[in-house]
Amino acid sequence: MLESVLRYILDWPVVVEFFRSYAWGWPLMETAHFVGLTLLLGIVGFFDLRLLGLAKGLPVAPLRKLLPWGVFGFVLAVSSGLAFVFGVRANISIHPYEVLINDVFLQWKLVFLGLAGLNLFAFYKTGMSKAVDDLGPGDDAPPLAKVIAGASLVSWIGVVYFGRLIPWGQFSAQ
Amino acid sequence: MDFLASIENSGLMTWLRESPSVLAYPTLLAFHTFGMAFLVGSSSALALRCLGVARDLPLGPMNGLFSVVHAGLWVSALSGLLLILIDARTFLTMPAFYIKMAAIVGALVLMWSLRAEVFARAGATTVAVSHKGRVQAATMLVLWLVATTAGRVTAYAPFIGWETAGAVLVTTIVLLAGVWVVSRLMRPAHPVSSRSSVHKAV
Repeated sequence: MLESVLRYILDWPVVVEFFRSYAWGWPLMETAHFVGLTLLLGIVGFFDLRLLGLAKGLPVAPLRKLLPWGVFGFVLAVSSGLAFVFGVRANISIHPYEVLINDVFLQWKLVFLGLAGLNLFAFYKTGMSKAVDDLGPGDDAPPLAKVIAGASLVSWIGVVYFGRLIPWGQFSAQ
Repeated sequence: MDFLASIENSGLMTWLRESPSVLAYPTLLAFHTFGMAFLVGSSSALALRCLGVARDLPLGPMNGLFSVVHAGLWVSALSGLLLILIDARTFLTMPAFYIKMAAIVGALVLMWSLRAEVFARAGATTVAVSHKGRVQAATMLVLWLVATTAGRVTAYAPFIGWETAGAVLVTTIVLLAGVWVVSRLMRPAHPVSSRSSVHKAV
C-alpha cells in the first residue's frame, strides 16, 4: 500500500520529460541546489555561531532579519532537490522509489534533515527562540540555546555531507 | 602534460580518484562543498547586510565573521587543489575552470576591499554602509554566482555549460524579481514604526 503510493507520488513523468528535453535542466537544478545550501549554511550557520559566542558584539534580534535569506536558500535547495527525485529516471533510468529504499546515504541525509527539523521545533518549543531575542551586544546565550545552536550546525553539516555522497550509494536492489 | 600526468598517476592521487571508499573522492568533494558553503555563504551574509538586509545590525562586530569566511577559504582551496591534481589534464584545459578561477579571484579581492571599506573601520554601533561598499557587495555576489555555476558545469560538455549559464541568469532575474515583489508586499504599513526600531537598536 505505502509502496504503491510512494511509487505514484515520487515519479513525475513531466519532470523526467523536462530533463530529457533540455540538457541544461539538470545542471541548472544542481546550481540552484548549491546556491541554496550555501545561503542556508552561511546564514543559519552564522546565527548558530553567534549563539555559540562568535561575533558576540552583535545583538541577536536584528541578526534574525538575515534569516529569511537562509529560508530562501532552504526553499531553493528543497525545490531543486525534489526535482532530482521526481525526475531521476531521466538521469539513471531507475525509479525514485528504488533509490529511496536502497541508497543509505539518501536515507542518512533524510535522518539528518529530520533532526534539523526537530531541533528547530525544540528551539521554539523550549522558549529559546524568544529568549535569544533579548540578547544584546556582548550577551551570552543561555546554555540550552547553545546546545540547540550546536545541534543545528551538526545536523545541517550532516545533511550536506550525506547529500554529497548520494551518487555513490546503491540505487537499486541487486 | 607529462608532469601533470605523473602527478595524476601518483599513489595519493590514484587512491583519491579510484578508491571505492566514500572517505576518498566523495568525502573530498564534500569538503569542497563545506568550504564553499562557509566561504561563499558567510561572505554573502556580509554582502546582504551591506545591501540593506537586517539594516539595524551593527557593522563593527560583524567583522568577527571573517574568521569563518577564511576557514571556508582554506578548506575549499586545499580540497580544490587536490581535486585539480586528481584530474589535472582535464581541468587545466577547460574554459569553465578558468572562468571559475577568475571569478573567485575577483570575488576575494572584492571581499577583502569590502572588509576594509565597511567592516574593519566600523564602530560597535555603526550601521551606515557607503555607496562604494554597496557596489562592492553586489559585484561580489554576482561573481560568487558565476564561480558556483562555472564550477558546477565543469562536469558537463562546454555547450551545455553555456546553456546552463543562460538558464541560471534567467532564473536569477525571475527569482530576484519575485523576492522584490514579496518584500514590497511584506513591508510594514507604517514606515514610522520601523524607523523607531532602528533607533532603539542603535
